[in-house]
Amino acid sequence: MTPLWHLTRKSIANRRLTVALTVAAVALAVAMLLGVERLRNDAREGFAQTISGTDLVVGARSGPLQLLLYSVFHIGNATNNVSWASLQKIAAHPQVAWLVPLSLGDSHRGFRVVGTTADYFEHYRHGRDHRLRFVAGKPFAGLFEAVVGAEVAVQLGYRPGARIVLSHGSGETSFAGHDDKPFTVAGVLARTGTPVDRSVLVSLQAIEAVHVDWAGGAPMPGVSIPPEFVTRFDLEPKAVTAALVGLKSRIAVFRVQRFVNEFRDEPLLAVLPGATLQEMWGLIGVVERALLAVSALVVLVGLAGLVAVVVASLGERRRELAILRALGASPAQVFLLLALESVVMSVLGCLLGLALVLAVAALAGPWLQAHYGLLLSAGAPSATEWALLGGVLLAALLASLVPAVRAYRYSLADGMTIRI
Amino acid sequence: MPGAARASIDAQAAPAATRNGLPPAVAFRDVSFRWPRAAHACLAIDDFHVAAGECVFLHGPSGSGKSTLLSLVGGVVAPERGSVAVLGRDLAGLRTGARDRFRADHIGFIFQLFNLIPYLSALDNIVLPCRFSPARRARVAAVGAQPQAEALRLAARLDLDRSLLARPAAELSVGQQQRVAAARALIGRPGLVIADEPTSALDADRQRAFLDLLLAECAAAGASLLFVSHDPRLAEHFDRVVALAAINRAAAAEVTA
Amino acid sequence: MTRLICILMACAALAAQPALAQPAPPAKGGDYRVGDRLAPAAKGAPAQYRQITWDDLIPPDWRPEDLFKDFDLGSMTDRDPRAMEMMQKLREAWDRAPVIERMNGQRVRIPGFVVPLENEGDTIREFLLVPYFGACIHVPPPPANQLIHVMPDEPIPGKWNMGPVWVSGVLTVARFDSELGNAGYQLRGIKVEEYKEPMPR
Repeated sequence: MTPLWHLTRKSIANRRLTVALTVAAVALAVAMLLGVERLRNDAREGFAQTISGTDLVVGARSGPLQLLLYSVFHIGNATNNVSWASLQKIAAHPQVAWLVPLSLGDSHRGFRVVGTTADYFEHYRHGRDHRLRFVAGKPFAGLFEAVVGAEVAVQLGYRPGARIVLSHGSGETSFAGHDDKPFTVAGVLARTGTPVDRSVLVSLQAIEAVHVDWAGGAPMPGVSIPPEFVTRFDLEPKAVTAALVGLKSRIAVFRVQRFVNEFRDEPLLAVLPGATLQEMWGLIGVVERALLAVSALVVLVGLAGLVAVVVASLGERRRELAILRALGASPAQVFLLLALESVVMSVLGCLLGLALVLAVAALAGPWLQAHYGLLLSAGAPSATEWALLGGVLLAALLASLVPAVRAYRYSLADGMTIRI
Repeated sequence: MPGAARASIDAQAAPAATRNGLPPAVAFRDVSFRWPRAAHACLAIDDFHVAAGECVFLHGPSGSGKSTLLSLVGGVVAPERGSVAVLGRDLAGLRTGARDRFRADHIGFIFQLFNLIPYLSALDNIVLPCRFSPARRARVAAVGAQPQAEALRLAARLDLDRSLLARPAAELSVGQQQRVAAARALIGRPGLVIADEPTSALDADRQRAFLDLLLAECAAAGASLLFVSHDPRLAEHFDRVVALAAINRAAAAEVTA
Repeated sequence: MTRLICILMACAALAAQPALAQPAPPAKGGDYRVGDRLAPAAKGAPAQYRQITWDDLIPPDWRPEDLFKDFDLGSMTDRDPRAMEMMQKLREAWDRAPVIERMNGQRVRIPGFVVPLENEGDTIREFLLVPYFGACIHVPPPPANQLIHVMPDEPIPGKWNMGPVWVSGVLTVARFDSELGNAGYQLRGIKVEEYKEPMPR
């Protein structure tokens, strides 16, 4: 094998430019394939570990997916609210162990504000039943206190004691602010990898308080109630957006779900977060598979280009093959020589593609997450990624047979001498 | 020793079957060969010998089956009938892989043009047979040298400047390339050197010089030389001259057909 | 009319349970309709697990359909307050469905459909096993003794969501509401396998 390795190395080095271009094409295709798989996996991972330990999510009647998305993932908006009275009745159901209300609708510099109770920090779990931890401070206690998520703290540089102002609506800019009622940051949460990182948590009463001089979604003209006086108003909420519910036993989940869905006083919807998430994957799964298929095709195109380049070079290498025959190379060795060249180029392409994905994940990952909410982890390749690489190498091996067989036939036909 | 022997262009001049107790370098007996898609045999040779250490000039115009004969000697193709023996070994008894190895170990080739692998350096080209043949490597080691050193020695003997050797083969002149090819053919002392029109692309004055060098080195290495050419003026330097047309019955048959 | 049909369906489902359970014909692979049940298995269970059916989880003396004995359902309309009352009573009976204490600690193997509770990446970490397809959208949902809360040793692939599986493991009876005496079945899923249709004979 040694003469073949030597010849392969020198042959590739001799055609550096063409080889570099074809290897780059294969590398880009492989990077795309691995990148798509990694994005898909990270997205799933991110979604799946957002909420744990919650048996039901309750909201106004819309669709199960929509409810889950706006209440837990802060994507989209609720169509309607849930009255406080209804929630009390649900909380009183014998099978319900705890209930955490959520009030959405305000924002702070593009981050969602979530009005909730102190129970949120007790019962909201993520991943494998992980609780929320504080890296600084503690849960909100006073009326105008807030707890911020890790991403909020990092991006806006908040520490306990910072003063912040909420805005109405969920956009990054808002022309309707609650400037007259500033909040103080009471605590900062540890990073969870969930939408909590991008949330600002306040008490339900605080949400009522900032809207006390508002009516119908806008501040009442000429009315402005200073923060010191809001406590004289009744700050018990009348309606909230959604609620997280925990039961005494998971067996009872259908029963309570049915109870909420058939609630007479207002149209409500209760969903099992786990089941609804899986349904979502079922829908997205088709798109994911299509994306992977397209990426695989692109890889095949890259490999085809590589093979074409090698085959095209064969024409001018017939003399070289004849010389090798004269030197004592068998047709099988000629076959191996050409196969080796294609395989070496393909392997280089694969490794380069893998390195490219890892580099992009490491360098651009944080930026992608901050600006697009796209998770792209920079960890070692997963089993599926290795399997994909293996598949690409297998395809490359098969593709390398084309120029190899051609060269074999040439050397059989030409022998040592070809017509000059 | 390359004698100044003048032999008549006569295929029937029978050489000694063996010389110095060594088997003939090449021995054809009742050989017939036809290319797969050809209607008639292109070679039909009853008897053709090259003795050990002999330098034979094989004369034949282009297209007369010289390449086929060389392919038979090289073991690249096998005859339909008859036996081809090189250095005492009957090639028919060997499988294709073994024939390729035999060729690597014992035969050196020099062609008319494009002898070298263009992307390897001249030195790499000379050393290449040693990579393919452990036997050649062993013979080089037996005289206490490394293949690279041996290549340099041969290059020097063939009048090649050291500075040329590091350059890619494609950058050398034709004359230089031919001499590099000769060095490559001779490294590791093969028993037989086959030269197919090696001087035809050279200028007239260079041809003579190349021939002298080649004959000298073959003698030094104790190798037999089978030199094929269409130019009879070179024949006088050889031990024996053979006309392909005279020994190839198939050529005669074609002419008369 | 729909309410009446519900009651009739509920009765039919319940009446089909004891002894002579004749399941609906198995749907073609993967294409289940609401209410479809799994066919009885053709292959035997591995030695250490006792293969059971959903009927085995119902105490033989529990017959909620006895509630309807005195009613002529055919003559009632949906809006008939007695029909609604019937529905309510049925639900309550199903909510309080008793479990068989003897099953506690038994090693069993049972087929059912997956309703995910907790996910992890591409996998399902914890799920409910229900006897028929579409239990969460079926009204009324299955009685408490026809639901199993499964905690598998290894998370199962996400694509088995809403699909049929065999679960082999240790069944336990868990009490979760002492005042009303509510209890349910839990199963530590030692092995969860995909359910393949039995070969037609």
